[in-house]
Amino acid sequence: MPEVYIDGERYEFEGKPKLLQFILDQGLEVPYFCYHPSMSIPANCRQCMVKVGQPVRDRETGEFELDENGDRVIRWFPKLQTSCSIDVTDGMVVKTQESDELVRRAQKDNLEFILINHPLDCPICDQAGECPLQIQTYKYGPEGSRFEVKKVHKPKRVQLGPRVVLDAERCINCTRCTRFVDEVSKTHQLTITKRGDSNYPITAPGETFDDPYSLNTVDLCPVGALTSADFRFRARVWEMNQTPSIDITNGKGCNIDLWTRDNLVLRITPRHNPHVNDWWMPDKGREANRLFNENRISRPSVKIDGESQVKSSWNNAIETFVEHIESVKPEEILLIGSPHASVEENYLLTKLGNLMGWGTPHFTPHLNEGSGDGFLITDDQAPNTQGIRLLGLSENDNDQLAKRISDSGISCVIILNDALIDRNVLTEDLFDDTCLIYFGTNENKTSQSADLVFPITCVAEHAASYVNVDGRIQRSFPAKETKYSNRRLNLEMSEGRLDRYGTKFDNWVTEDNKVDCLPAWDLFALIGMRMGLDIEYEMGGREVMDEIGRKVPSFEGVSYEQMDDESGIALNIDSKKVKSKN
Amino acid sequence: MEYRFDKEELDQIEKIKARYPEVRPATLPVLWIAQNKFGHVGPKVQKLVAKTLDLPEAHIHGVAEFYTQYYKEEKGKFVLDVCTCLSCQVCGGYDILHYLEEKLGIETGETTEDGMFTIQQVECLGACGYAPMMQITNGVYVNHLTREKVDEVIEGLKNGKLPQFESKEMRKVNPQDR
Repeated sequence: MPEVYIDGERYEFEGKPKLLQFILDQGLEVPYFCYHPSMSIPANCRQCMVKVGQPVRDRETGEFELDENGDRVIRWFPKLQTSCSIDVTDGMVVKTQESDELVRRAQKDNLEFILINHPLDCPICDQAGECPLQIQTYKYGPEGSRFEVKKVHKPKRVQLGPRVVLDAERCINCTRCTRFVDEVSKTHQLTITKRGDSNYPITAPGETFDDPYSLNTVDLCPVGALTSADFRFRARVWEMNQTPSIDITNGKGCNIDLWTRDNLVLRITPRHNPHVNDWWMPDKGREANRLFNENRISRPSVKIDGESQVKSSWNNAIETFVEHIESVKPEEILLIGSPHASVEENYLLTKLGNLMGWGTPHFTPHLNEGSGDGFLITDDQAPNTQGIRLLGLSENDNDQLAKRISDSGISCVIILNDALIDRNVLTEDLFDDTCLIYFGTNENKTSQSADLVFPITCVAEHAASYVNVDGRIQRSFPAKETKYSNRRLNLEMSEGRLDRYGTKFDNWVTEDNKVDCLPAWDLFALIGMRMGLDIEYEMGGREVMDEIGRKVPSFEGVSYEQMDDESGIALNIDSKKVKSKN
Repeated sequence: MEYRFDKEELDQIEKIKARYPEVRPATLPVLWIAQNKFGHVGPKVQKLVAKTLDLPEAHIHGVAEFYTQYYKEEKGKFVLDVCTCLSCQVCGGYDILHYLEEKLGIETGETTEDGMFTIQQVECLGACGYAPMMQITNGVYVNHLTREKVDEVIEGLKNGKLPQFESKEMRKVNPQDR
């Protein structure tokens, strides 16, 4: 197998990797700014310089020439090479900054060049703390600068588009953003303007940077030049904690990280998953933090006198639920599952329905025909349509569902987290004489029309799984605490610095951000207990998923452990049985 | 004002496009055609070029902004690029620049009211041997400038007469080989 020597260590390689990527794959490090594994390689930041050589072979015998110590004679490249753009070849000898003074010096001086016109405003810069330039300057940079002349000034606070703000002075012209719009999102909206020390990225005059993937350039930017208009100045990155999760705003199920501080989701960034979204996500998915923070249903509500809802205790709400249920016959109850809820929640609704004789839940897919783009935005507006198809819920189109309520003697409808009235699938007057019980996360017209509302946890508060349009099952982790969960006790929750070292008496901590809601499995267990059923899952979603893996053929063997190890599992979808709508 | 290419220029652009395997390389020559026709390649002209070539506007903008020879705003009929880089500076480049400013009554970077002249200060144009010198509208070089020569050139330009390129007899043999 071909071999390469890096800092004196021997490594074997396959195929034709680039040197920088190979070094990174070994867990070693070479500093870089412009290189990105999913885009073209311009080698323009010049930071990843290494010393590279090939062993000398005797032309006649083909043997390696050896020096007096018996070591191979190395013919070094006359100059340092950018490791990002050079192919690894058999026998190659590489010296990085770890073993070579010249390389160390080159990287240090290159950083001095990059920093000539870079403002030293890290204390007020959003990128500080996660800034490759800052980190690598600490590690490899010079102690000071010899350039003591005035820095070049460029435009600041340029609103490039609705979601992206540019600070041109901070830009180091790595061209990651322009390559992204040229190669990945293909809107070609950005270019580098001017040249030399006055260049920076910009749109064409009069154009706005309204690319539906524009915020990825903010993640790509190795400095604080491109910042998110929404997240700007809202938190320092080291104060937040980062929890892996799944985008629930469309059917693709992009892998994301939720960044929380004091139980508010402040920003959402994509998480690398080569099977689903690579490094990217659509901008729309990043606005989901508002769904998690704002307008949440907190505490159950009961409608009194058919008029206004009042907040109620959990016990009272459960008693009211039982009253509603017992006042009608089982066949007069209609269960509606939801493509917006997880596999576990829908499974439990199905199970409850089966045990109580209410029949299989129905659902209607949430599609917006023509809004998909064949990349990461899908027609499907819900994260789990495939999942509930696989669970065997009965699929309706919009008209069928309304007709089912009005025509077939239904007097009580139980909806699991789906804003059907807001989606114009159902109308408010359907529920004039019919009782509506809503299990939901957010306030909306549907929850307001309900006779009884139970708040349940959203994707940011529970661990639950979702099946994307391609049949890949992936799961979330709890990122936000509810009134009844605790970061320090729940080992699936991550703790940021403020959570770990703060106390509840600190002035940056408020109780208000914790929603008074329960995971569906806990809530259904309470309801079950009241009605004489034992449907308790002590391990929460994990245990529910194990049961689904045993009982539902499509999910055979699926477990959280496997999902975690393999970043999601591609389920065996029989395309004939399950209509795949992208 | 609406900017358009007419039939003749569009034919010319087609010919330019045919020279290259893809459209992008045609950007530079087509920007030249536009600048020769409209006198500048401002945002609206860039838009026209982008549309004509079916290329992203941002790309055209980036290319136009890169080269100082493309004028991104309207300039005078004659753009006087006075070199003030080292050799010209030593030989009186700034004197010439300031004399021109005084003579035309404008500052560097400005255009005379009649739209005839724009003065620009530029870096080395590679004619150090003829310092001080200036270039007229990306074209002819005027060498060995003196105040009198400047007067003469300006007078000529006002009458629409571009100076001729001054060729200079070069040494046939290098001094060290003599």
